[in-house]
Amino acid sequence: MANLCPPPSPAVAKTLISIDGYSPLLAATFAYWDNILGPRVRHIWSPKSDHVLLSDGEITFLANHTLNGEILRNAESGAIDVKFFVLSEKGVIIVSLIFDGNWNGDRSTYGLSIILPQSELAFYLPLHKVCVARLTHIIRKGRIWMHKGQSITHMLTGEVIPIMELLSSIKSHGVPEEIDITSTVLNDDDIGDSCHGDFLINAISSHMQTCGCSVVVGSSAEKVNKMVRTLCLFLSPTERKCSRLCRSESSFQYESGLFVQGLLKDATGSFVLPFRQVMYAPYPTTHIDVDIFTVKQMPPCHEHTYNQRRYMRAELGALWKATSDEEIGMDSVIHSDETFTPNLNIFQDILHRDTFVKNFLDQVFQLKPNLSLRSTFLAQFLLVLHRKALTLIKYIEDDTQKGKKPFKSLRSLKTDLDLAAEGDLYIIMALAEKIKPGLHSFIFGSSFHTSMQERDVLMTF
Amino acid sequence: MIGSPDLVPFTMEEGYEEPFHGASGLPEEYTVPLFPFSQANSSPWSRLCAAKFSRDFILISEFSEQVGPQPLLTIPDDQRICGEFDLNYFSLRIMSVDYQASFVGHPPGSSYPKLNFVEDSKVVLGDSKEGAFAYVHHLTLYDLEARGFVRPFCMAYISMDEEKIMRQFLELSSDFSKASKCLKTGNRKAFANELEKKLRDLDYTRTVLQREMEEQMKADDKGFYTTQTIDKANELASVEKSIIEHQDLLKQIQLYPYRKIKEPDFQPYEPESLQDSDVPNESEQPLPPSNPEESLVEEESSLYHPRSSYTPKFIKAKSSKCFDKKLKTLEELVDIYFFTQTIDLLTSIEKRYRGDLSYLLMKQLEKGLLEQQTVSNFLFEDIATWDAKLSSMHCSNTLALVQALQNPTFLEEPGNLKNSASLESYKSSVESVPIKIEQEVFEEGNHQETAERGVSDIPDNCEFNDVDFKGSVSSSDSIEVLRTEKSVALLTHSESQPCLRLSPQPPRRKVGSRRTISEDSIEVLSTCPSESVIPEDFRPAYQIAIHEEDPDGVDVDGEQPCNSTNNEENEPSPNDLSGDPACCMGAETLLAQTGNVTPVPNDGDINKVVSVPPQSYRNMDHAFQVKFSVDRAENHSNKVSPHGLSSPEAESTYLMSSGESVRLSIEEYSDSTSYRSSTSTCSDRTPSPAPCVSGLSERHRRKAGQNALMFIRQYPFSHPAIYSLLCGRTLIVLGEEEAFVRRLVTALSIFVPNHGHVAKPVNTWMTSPLHIMDFQKWKLIGLQRGGSPSSTNILHSLNRYSRYASVLDADHKTLRCPVYKGAFLQRLADHRTQIRRGSTYYMHVQSMLTQLSAKAFLFTFCHHAHLPIREKESEESIAQRRAAFLRQLLGLSEEDSKIVEYLSELLKMHYLRESGTQLLPVLRFDYIPNFLYKI
Repeated sequence: MANLCPPPSPAVAKTLISIDGYSPLLAATFAYWDNILGPRVRHIWSPKSDHVLLSDGEITFLANHTLNGEILRNAESGAIDVKFFVLSEKGVIIVSLIFDGNWNGDRSTYGLSIILPQSELAFYLPLHKVCVARLTHIIRKGRIWMHKGQSITHMLTGEVIPIMELLSSIKSHGVPEEIDITSTVLNDDDIGDSCHGDFLINAISSHMQTCGCSVVVGSSAEKVNKMVRTLCLFLSPTERKCSRLCRSESSFQYESGLFVQGLLKDATGSFVLPFRQVMYAPYPTTHIDVDIFTVKQMPPCHEHTYNQRRYMRAELGALWKATSDEEIGMDSVIHSDETFTPNLNIFQDILHRDTFVKNFLDQVFQLKPNLSLRSTFLAQFLLVLHRKALTLIKYIEDDTQKGKKPFKSLRSLKTDLDLAAEGDLYIIMALAEKIKPGLHSFIFGSSFHTSMQERDVLMTF
Repeated sequence: MIGSPDLVPFTMEEGYEEPFHGASGLPEEYTVPLFPFSQANSSPWSRLCAAKFSRDFILISEFSEQVGPQPLLTIPDDQRICGEFDLNYFSLRIMSVDYQASFVGHPPGSSYPKLNFVEDSKVVLGDSKEGAFAYVHHLTLYDLEARGFVRPFCMAYISMDEEKIMRQFLELSSDFSKASKCLKTGNRKAFANELEKKLRDLDYTRTVLQREMEEQMKADDKGFYTTQTIDKANELASVEKSIIEHQDLLKQIQLYPYRKIKEPDFQPYEPESLQDSDVPNESEQPLPPSNPEESLVEEESSLYHPRSSYTPKFIKAKSSKCFDKKLKTLEELVDIYFFTQTIDLLTSIEKRYRGDLSYLLMKQLEKGLLEQQTVSNFLFEDIATWDAKLSSMHCSNTLALVQALQNPTFLEEPGNLKNSASLESYKSSVESVPIKIEQEVFEEGNHQETAERGVSDIPDNCEFNDVDFKGSVSSSDSIEVLRTEKSVALLTHSESQPCLRLSPQPPRRKVGSRRTISEDSIEVLSTCPSESVIPEDFRPAYQIAIHEEDPDGVDVDGEQPCNSTNNEENEPSPNDLSGDPACCMGAETLLAQTGNVTPVPNDGDINKVVSVPPQSYRNMDHAFQVKFSVDRAENHSNKVSPHGLSSPEAESTYLMSSGESVRLSIEEYSDSTSYRSSTSTCSDRTPSPAPCVSGLSERHRRKAGQNALMFIRQYPFSHPAIYSLLCGRTLIVLGEEEAFVRRLVTALSIFVPNHGHVAKPVNTWMTSPLHIMDFQKWKLIGLQRGGSPSSTNILHSLNRYSRYASVLDADHKTLRCPVYKGAFLQRLADHRTQIRRGSTYYMHVQSMLTQLSAKAFLFTFCHHAHLPIREKESEESIAQRRAAFLRQLLGLSEEDSKIVEYLSELLKMHYLRESGTQLLPVLRFDYIPNFLYKI
C-alpha cells in the first residue's frame, strides 16, 4: 500500500541573485516531468528585489505549465526544443528549453525556463537567439553531468546569472534602435578627424566581413562608444538592439552573441577576453582597439563554425571523461584534456581588402555634415549591399538548384555580380550569411574541411 | 599582439590534435555535429525539408469537450500542402498547452454564472522530429450550450522554419490578434443573438407554463395543489431563474465593449483605415463617430439588437445529455459574416508570410532603408516597396475590409442594401456581390496615387473574374465592390463539427479570397505632372524647337552606314535655358520648355509596363475609375491583355522573333520552366522569392528581368540601347507586331528612371504619329509599324524626330542611337552573364541601379562640386571640377558621367518639386551623333 502512495513532494529550492540595477528577468526555473506527479519544479532563480512581481507560487505554476503537453514529446535523440509563451492573462513571457535527460537511470523530460514581464517582449525578442544559444549549451553540459548522477543546479546557476546580468546590462547600456549620426565618426568634417582614415576603413570593413560582430576595446569610454555607435550604423535596427555600449565606471564582462560591444580596459591597459565565449559567438568577431588603432579579425564564418564545433565537442568530451567535481570547473575543463590543444591565435590581420567600404568612406565625407545627407547616403550604401547579398543568395540558389548540386562557379559569381575584390565578396557573403545561415559552410566548407582533414592526416605521421 | 593580452597565454604553436572521430566516447545524443552540412545534399535550403508538409499553412483547431483536440480547417484548403502531416496529432500537441484557466460558472459570492473575457495567449512550439514549428494563438469563444459557456480554439501558423516564426513573432502576433478580434466580435454577436433567442424561448415558456398553471389552479378547487401543479410551479420557478441568468449573461456580453475601452491598453480596430479602404463611400453612409472608442461601442452594441422575425419555442424541462447534443460548428459559433472575414484575413496572412525567410527579412530591411532616402528612391524604386501607407494598403486589404465592414452601418443588412441599391448598384449574377457603377469626374488631384497603381501593378496573387473583368474594361465603367455580406450565403455549412475541408475549393473559399484582395483594384486615371503650366505660354517654344530641326533624311525603315554622324551635334539652341550653376546638364544639352499641347489620344496604354501617361490626355468625359476585385494573377495576364506576357517559353522565344528562337533552350532562360522543374523537389518547399505585396508584382518583375536577360544576350547592341534610356534619351521600339514590341519594351522598361512618384514614362504600344509632346512624356515608346494608312504618318513623324531619339527597329534588328563606351553597362548588362533566371537578373539590375542612384545623389548634393569654392570662380572652372569629381572620385567614364548627370538632374527636379517649387516641364534634346547598329 505504501508503495502506491506518491513520494513526498520535494521542496522547491530557490536562489536569490543580486543584480546591479534593474533586471528584466523575473525568474528562471528548472522543472522536470515526474512520472507520478506530473510537472514539478526543482529550482527557482530570481533576482533580489524589493518589489516581488511574481510570487513563488505563481512562478511554480508557470514553470509547471511549461511542461504541459510534453508527455507527448516527440523529439529526436538529444534534441533541445524551445517553447516560447506570451501569456497576456498573466502578463509574462516564458522561454522554455525542453530536453530529455537521464538521471540515475531514469529518463525524463526537463524544462529550463526564464520568465520576463510581457512589457519586455520587444526588448527580449532581439536577444532571444543569444539567450537560447547559451542556455542550450549549458543544457548540453548539464545532460552529461546528469548522466553521471550529479545535480546540475550549480552548473545551471553558472549560466543563469550571466544571462540575468546580460539582460540587465543591455537594459542600461543597450544601443538605441535609432542612432544619431552626429554621435558617430561619420559626422566628422573629414575622414581623419577622429581617427586615422585607414583605421576607420579597416574597422568598418572587417566589422562587415565578420557579420557585424565586433568588440571595441579602449581606455576611454567616450572613444569606445563613439566607435560602437559608428559600427552600429552598419547594422539593422534589430541587431542594434543586440549591441551594448561601454560602461564608463567599470567594464562589463564580454558577452558572447552580442553584435557590437564596447569594453573598457583595466588600469593595466588590457582587457581579458574569455577564449571560450569568443569561440561560442555565433559569428566571427572583429577586435578593434581604439587606443592603438589596431583591427584584427577572426577567420570567416565557415572556419569559425568549424572551430567552434570542434571546441564544443572537445569540451563535452572532456566533461564526459571527467570523474570529479574539480574537473568540471567552468574554465579548466579544456586544459585538463590532454588531447585537446586549440589554436588560440584566432585573431588575425585583415586578409581581404574591399572597395565598398573604402569608396563609401571616401565619398561620404564629401557631403556636408550635420545635414541628413550622410544618413541618406549611408542608407543607399546599405541598400546596395543588402540587395547584392540577396542577389548572391538567389544566384547560388539558382546555380545549385537550392543546394542540390555543389556550387562550383565562384568565379562567375564574382564577375556577374561585380564582386571582383575578395573583401567585397566577403562583405556580401557575411550579409548573406545572416539571412541565410550556413551559406559560408555550403560554399567554402567542403574545400576547407578537406584541407583540414589533409592537415590532420599529415600531422599524424 | 592585438591589444588583448589575455589571449597571449593561450597562444600555442600546436594545432588541433583531436582527430575527426570522437575519441572521448561521448554518445552522439550528447554532442554536436562537427559539420553543419556533412550529409550529402545538405545545404542551407535543405535543412527545412524534414517536414511532411510542403509549405507553411494555417490550422484552426478546437479542444472539443466531446472528442478532445481536433483540427477544423486549414488555410489554404489544399490537402497537398499538408501532405502526410498528422493534423490530429499536431492539434493535440498545440491544444495541450492551455493557459486560459479562466473561471467560468458560478464564482463564489455570485449567484449567476459569470462570463470571463480572457486574453488570448500566444505560444511558439515545435515538434523537432516532424520538423514542424508553430505560432499558436489560443482564444476562447462562447457557446451557450458548451460546458462553462466556453469553447477553446486556436489558430496556428505552421512552418518548417522555427527561426522564421521567431523573427516574425511580433508581426505574426499582431496579425493573428486582429484575426482573433474579428472572430471574437462575430462570436459575441452570435452569442448575444443566441441569448436573445433563448430569452424569448424562456419568456414564451414562462407564459405557457403560467397559463397552464392558472388553468390547473382553476381546475383544482379542492383547496390544495396537485403534484402536477407543484411540478409546474417548480418548472416555472426554474424558468424564471434561467431567465434572470440569461439576462445577466446578455448584459455581460453587451457590456463587453464598455469594459474593454476602460482598459489602458485597449486598442480598437483602426477606424482610419476604414476611410482609406475602397469599400465605404462617404456619400453613402453616415460619417463614423469622431471618437474611435465610441465607434466601437456603438458597433458592438448594434450587434445585439433582437431579431423580430424569430418565432419562440417552448423549452422542455429536461435538456439533452451532454453527449447527445451536437456541438455547434465554428461557422455557427461566429456570425457568418465575421467568420468569412476572419478566413479572408487568415488567407491574406498566409500569403504574406509565404516564402523563404531571407526574402521576408530583406523586404523589411529594404523598406526601412528606402524610407530613409525619400530624396532619391523614386528613381528606380517602386513606391509600394517603401511607402508604408501604400504597402500596408496592399498587404492588409482584407483587414481594411474587415475594419470597414465592422462599421455599424454595415452590420445592419437591410438598410445598407437599400442604400447601395439606390445608388446604381446591382448584384453580380455570379456571386451576389453588390457592385456599384461609378462614373467619376476626372480629378487631377488623384493623379499621382492612381498612376502609381496602374494596370501593370496588379499583384501576382490576383485572379479576375472573367465576366466582370471584360465587362468592366470594355465599358470603362467603375466597378467597386461595396459590400459582400450577401455572398456568405454561398458558404458551405458543415454538418458536423469536424469540419476539416478537404474538398478542393468550396464556394465560400472563392468568395472569401476574392474579397481578400479586393483592394488590389485597378484604377485607370490620367495624370498631369504639373498643374502650373499654362499651355499657351509654351506653345511657341515648341514650334521653334520643331522648326529648327529638319529631319536628317534617314528613313528609319531603311539602313544607314554604321558610322553615319549627325552634323548638328553640339549646336547650341537659342532657347537654352540651362542657367542654374548647380544644374549639371551638358553644354550640348538643349532645354525646351513644353506646353500643354493638344493631347494625343492613345489607345495602347493599358499594358503591363506603364500604366498611365504622366499627363492627362484622355477625354475627361471618359476618364473612368475602374476598381474591381481580383483573385489571382495567372488569369489576369491572359485575360487583361490578350497580347500580354503569356508563357515564359513563348515570350522568350518571341524576343528572338521567328526562326532564331529555336536555338535557345527553354530551360536556359525560362524562369517558370526552371521554377516548375524545381517544384517537385523538396527544396522548393519554401518557394522564393516571397510574394511581393508591392505595386509591381513579383511575376511582372520576373518577366521583365527575364525579357531583359534575353535582350542583352540576343542583341549585341544592348549597351547603347540601355545607355539611351539611362541618360534620358527617348528610345523608340519600332515594330509591326504588337506583342513582340511589347515584350521588348517590357524588357527595357526596367532600365528607365522614373521622373517622380508617378508611373514610369513608358508607353508600350503607340499607334498614332509621334508628337513632340511624346518626347517629354515618354522615355520608352513601343511604336507601331503597320500597313494601315495611318502608319505612313507614324513613319513620317518618326523620320522627323528620329534625330532626337534612339530607334530600335524590332523587325530589322537595328538600332540607331549614340555610341556607348563606358564601363558601367559592362557590369550591368553583360551578355556572358551566368545569371540564369529573370528574377535574379532583375535583382542584379536593381542593386546596380541603386548603386547608380547613390552616385547621382552624391553628385547632386555634394556642394563643392557645384558651387564656387573661391570668389569669382568661373563657370568653366566649376564645370572642370565637376567633371573631375565624376571622373576621379566616382570613377566614371564620359558616358557613365552623362548617366549620372541625367539622374542628378531628375533628383534636383524632384527635390525642388517636393519642396514646393513650381517647375516647368522640361523637354530635353541632345545633339549627339547617332550610330546604326545591326545584328
